[in-house]
Amino acid sequence: MARTFRYFEKKRGHRRTGSKTLAIVGETVFFTFFLVGGVAGLFVLYFMLVVPQLQANTEFVAHRCLVLDKRIGEKEGDDGMLYRPEIQIEYSIQGERFVVWTYDIWIFDATGGYSAGREENQRILDRFEVGREYVCWYDPQDPSRVVLVRAYRWWLGLLFILPVSFILIGAGRLVYLLLLAGKSAERRSAFTQKAARLAPFEEKGSGAADFPAIPAGVNLTDSPGTALAFRLPAAATPSVALGTTLAAAVIWNGIVAWLLVVSVRGHMRGQPDWPLTVFSLIFAAVGLVLVAWAARHAMVATGVGPTLLEISDQPLRPGGRYQLFVSQTGRLRLRCFEVLLACEEEATYRHGTDTRKELCRVLEQPVFRRDDFDPGRPAPFAASCEVQMPERAMHSFQSAHNEVNWRFIVRGKIAGWPDYERSFPVLVYPSEDGKEGR
Amino acid sequence: MTGPRIVIRLDENGRIYQPGDRLAGEYRMLAIDRDEIKALEISVLWFTEGKGDEDLAVHDFRRLSAEDGDWIDPRRPGRFSTTLPNSPLSYDGRIVKVRWCVRVRAFLKRGREVVGQRLFRLGDVPAAKAPPT
Repeated sequence: MARTFRYFEKKRGHRRTGSKTLAIVGETVFFTFFLVGGVAGLFVLYFMLVVPQLQANTEFVAHRCLVLDKRIGEKEGDDGMLYRPEIQIEYSIQGERFVVWTYDIWIFDATGGYSAGREENQRILDRFEVGREYVCWYDPQDPSRVVLVRAYRWWLGLLFILPVSFILIGAGRLVYLLLLAGKSAERRSAFTQKAARLAPFEEKGSGAADFPAIPAGVNLTDSPGTALAFRLPAAATPSVALGTTLAAAVIWNGIVAWLLVVSVRGHMRGQPDWPLTVFSLIFAAVGLVLVAWAARHAMVATGVGPTLLEISDQPLRPGGRYQLFVSQTGRLRLRCFEVLLACEEEATYRHGTDTRKELCRVLEQPVFRRDDFDPGRPAPFAASCEVQMPERAMHSFQSAHNEVNWRFIVRGKIAGWPDYERSFPVLVYPSEDGKEGR
Repeated sequence: MTGPRIVIRLDENGRIYQPGDRLAGEYRMLAIDRDEIKALEISVLWFTEGKGDEDLAVHDFRRLSAEDGDWIDPRRPGRFSTTLPNSPLSYDGRIVKVRWCVRVRAFLKRGREVVGQRLFRLGDVPAAKAPPT
């Protein structure tokens, strides 16, 4: 099957994946712009900042001049007034008389050498006396370009960071693309894996190397339990969830309040801005939803205490039996409290310029359930149970765009309160003898 | 089909392989002249299918290049063998699928490529059922 160029490649459900050739061409064009932009910026900065300083410091000719007058030059900038010292000098070159306002080489620059701070410029001016002679340096190519001070402004070198970083990013990516150009997907993968193996921080003989495409899950197995071997970390603690939703609600509604104030002022002045009003009301509606969401999280966080889940062994294996310890505190009576074992597939894909994620729960196995009890009275609720992993279950899997994740889910229902759900990821490896299905 | 193609055969045709098993077989290039071949790549790899963007990783990769002095004779079958890894196992999920295959890619003159692929299963994980409602 000889391959020809295609704009679209495999069809995936209702969408098609883009052409890899087009993607590489697009990426090459994008990073070429980066490189060209960086080189152009470097040239501009070199001729604007380096060349004038070099000329003034190495090529200008020393001479005597008479100071006739001095003043502070002023100019209105974006952030207020800007100043520069201006000194009028008189000097003669080969019989020709010159009278010039000058100070340093930056006065002849496009920016004019202005800076903020009048006092600093006044101090410079105070160093020169009208009627006295001083040394000046003039440009032999254009004697009207003359300076009273020669110095290098080394800090201007910081400006080169921007174009240099553009060049490094652009050139680096282009070299990478060049290395991969014309290479098959398999060869690129082999190349990438070889580079990863050579990485200085790669842990030799780690579990990740023995079980490719299974996440290392270090944070899942580094916390010992009090009743069983491992305490499982929650995917997101209630306080983190509350803090995140509260921050989102405050920021969003702050913006909404500002929009509403501007809108109401317009109406009060008799100059209503209806598009802004409609826009603000839509934003306000979303803001109310966020407040309700934050209130729900606050109710759960304050009414339901922390959930602890511990397990006898990790990683889990298909068909294995494990002891589970669950503890729940809180001041509210639970109508229903259950622990489930779940397996979820997660796919990430590009749709146009968006990156989208889709989740699909493919297994939900009840592990423990208790109805109608007070978790906090007389002591925090605690229970032990056993969980059996399904025979021939798929192991945890993680690649760049696809995942299979296992987790325990603790779900609670409280009369008159919002339900809550807490998730505890676990790691599942293939069977120890590697003989699923035999 | 009379055009150039590559046929791959596994020694234990159709069986389910387990981690640590030896996978071996041979490939044959049909209707390809020796003068036409510039390079040949033999890979044992897994790739994903489904809703997400495709991911791919090679487990075993070998490249023969005429430019580097490798002898590539399309008239003779070539052999490959490798020890299969612990993971990932073949999986037929709802939106994520993991496939294993042997892929042989021949690079011909004038930028043409001929690819032959043979799927096989690693492990015996059953297909995922419909999501719970």
